[in-house]
Amino acid sequence: MITAGIDVGSTYTKVVLMDSEGNVLTRGIRNTGFQLTRVARETFETCLEEVNLAPGDCSYVIATGIGRHQCDFKDLTVTELTAGARGAKFYFPRTCTVLDIGGQTMKASRVDASSKVEAFRMNDKCAAGTGAFLEKTARYMGYTCKEIGPLMETSRQSVPISGVCAVFAESEVINQLSLGTPPGDIMQGAIESLTTRSVQLMKRIKGQPEYTLIGGLLRFKNMALAVKAQLGTEVNVPPYGSCQFACAVGAAKLAQIRANKLGLTGQQNAGVAV
Amino acid sequence: MTNRPLIFDSWRDLPLEEVLRICRDTIEEGDFSPVLKWRETGGKVLGHFQVYFPQELAHAAGMLPVMVRGAPVDLLHADSRFGSYLCSILKSSLDLALSGKIELDMFVSHPICDAARNLAAVWSRNFDYPCQILYLPQNANSQGTIPYLRDEYDRLLRKLEEISGKKVTEEDLRNSIALYNRSRALVRELYDLKRSEPWKVAAEDAYSLVAIGGLIPVEEHIALMEWVVPEIHKIERNKEDRIRVVFEGAFCEQPPLDMIRTIGRSCYVVDDDFLIGLRWLTGDVATEDDPLYALAEAYIERSSYSPVQHDNRKTKEAMLLKRAEAAEAEAVVLASAKMCEPGLEEQVAYVLALDENRIPYFLSEFEENMSSFGGLELQVETFAENILFA
Repeated sequence: MITAGIDVGSTYTKVVLMDSEGNVLTRGIRNTGFQLTRVARETFETCLEEVNLAPGDCSYVIATGIGRHQCDFKDLTVTELTAGARGAKFYFPRTCTVLDIGGQTMKASRVDASSKVEAFRMNDKCAAGTGAFLEKTARYMGYTCKEIGPLMETSRQSVPISGVCAVFAESEVINQLSLGTPPGDIMQGAIESLTTRSVQLMKRIKGQPEYTLIGGLLRFKNMALAVKAQLGTEVNVPPYGSCQFACAVGAAKLAQIRANKLGLTGQQNAGVAV
Repeated sequence: MTNRPLIFDSWRDLPLEEVLRICRDTIEEGDFSPVLKWRETGGKVLGHFQVYFPQELAHAAGMLPVMVRGAPVDLLHADSRFGSYLCSILKSSLDLALSGKIELDMFVSHPICDAARNLAAVWSRNFDYPCQILYLPQNANSQGTIPYLRDEYDRLLRKLEEISGKKVTEEDLRNSIALYNRSRALVRELYDLKRSEPWKVAAEDAYSLVAIGGLIPVEEHIALMEWVVPEIHKIERNKEDRIRVVFEGAFCEQPPLDMIRTIGRSCYVVDDDFLIGLRWLTGDVATEDDPLYALAEAYIERSSYSPVQHDNRKTKEAMLLKRAEAAEAEAVVLASAKMCEPGLEEQVAYVLALDENRIPYFLSEFEENMSSFGGLELQVETFAENILFA
């Protein structure tokens, strides 16, 4: 039995195919753009082709992420909180607290032994605690998204970016640039500002070890280091490249649970599984 | 009535998706354009407040019965007429009239709650046309109930005749009843479809199709439904693995369309009490003998339930359980309009009954002017996920 998890995020759409033993068969990622339905379907189909499967070979599909409702071949949607909790547990079964930092949202959740979310907090509508904040900061200084990681590694001494608002933070970036501060130090300051917000969220939900960090921003290793330093404890990060796929993995895992519950052991057409 | 020009025909010759969009927009925009069009053709309009009014009476008199059910509008006038502790529908309904968005020739309210009972009096102080109260029987179980209600309908019919200038015959009434029987049967068919194949029709679309019936002549509603319902049947859409829920609590004030849409995105709303007044009669009304008696008899004997009708034979909590069972619902969304005393009071009985029968429920409140649904969506999805992954 094959299941799929589709995470239609604000920046990227991620797809994971999983077999009945819980092995990730393949995964795919594309820019979400503005045609969410098409991108979700194409990413799914590309993944299927990679492992020589047809859509009918997939028993159950769960969509998650901000654009989950646009996925037109899903069997079910789940929130990123539920999918993220499963995904974090998939990589680190002893996870008690999940921090998910994506393109538009930052979420901290406390999960129980059965992967149920017991409490959660999200950043409000402000982009200051999200990947969009970092992207905007980089872009202002003339760097692309891909250059954020290498740029941070050039930092010798971060400068404080205290803004809790992405718009105000931009003013601070301008000030720092006019003072001749190296862009790497500014970038590192931005990520530390973001870290402060994320640690506050985790404290509010009374987070407990083990902490697992997921989401696109965790592909910058400085982010995990900064969280670890501020929390004063070890943190888990899925293997490089997997942190972005944690919600899709969680969705695929949930799809497996649901398919088993419904007795879908054989081949079905995606989207008409029940 | 049949010789009048059509007032809601922009949907004709369009594909289903477009027709549903037109219905949604008409309901969501709350501009009452069909009613305005009706008046432009010289037609007279009866506005009746929630919950139930026998629209056949107005139709037989040649008038357009319009369900006055509030709207998500900014209040310009009504705040100076009502206290802030009252529900929104009361104020927004009056505001629609005071701001000229809806023009009536007669208004009827009902003693469904203290606030609604006073509505006709407040209305009459602001408009020259007649404002009446239809005194629906408080005791549905007395032997005298049906004859009493028959006479009450007769009293209102005489008033309608005065306004329309048309003497209503028994034959006129029978013709109107037959048309409304057809319209109600089509709505029942839509609800059968919601229960059997809920993935074919979005909750907000089903809602809009019923709601539009409170705005346009019954003949036009029949034509619309006779085209739309078979088209919905033909839809080929994937069934999703969503939980099936019953929505309860919209018997008077209506939740915003976006709230219905939000719930419908993660659950199949397989039955509900949206606009229950338009679906109050659950079977055909007899078209022989005395038509007024037949209408009164149907109100008592073949009708739905709501927190504002008290009938010992159908306690609300037992009826809700029945509704959930008939729709094979796994859970109930129990909502109530803010400041709605009957709605909030009934929630207590509903909750006890659902707890006793181990049916999961989601409690919520709403208001016409709600505009943010992100939090609600997250809560509803979490509720559904707890059931799916229990």
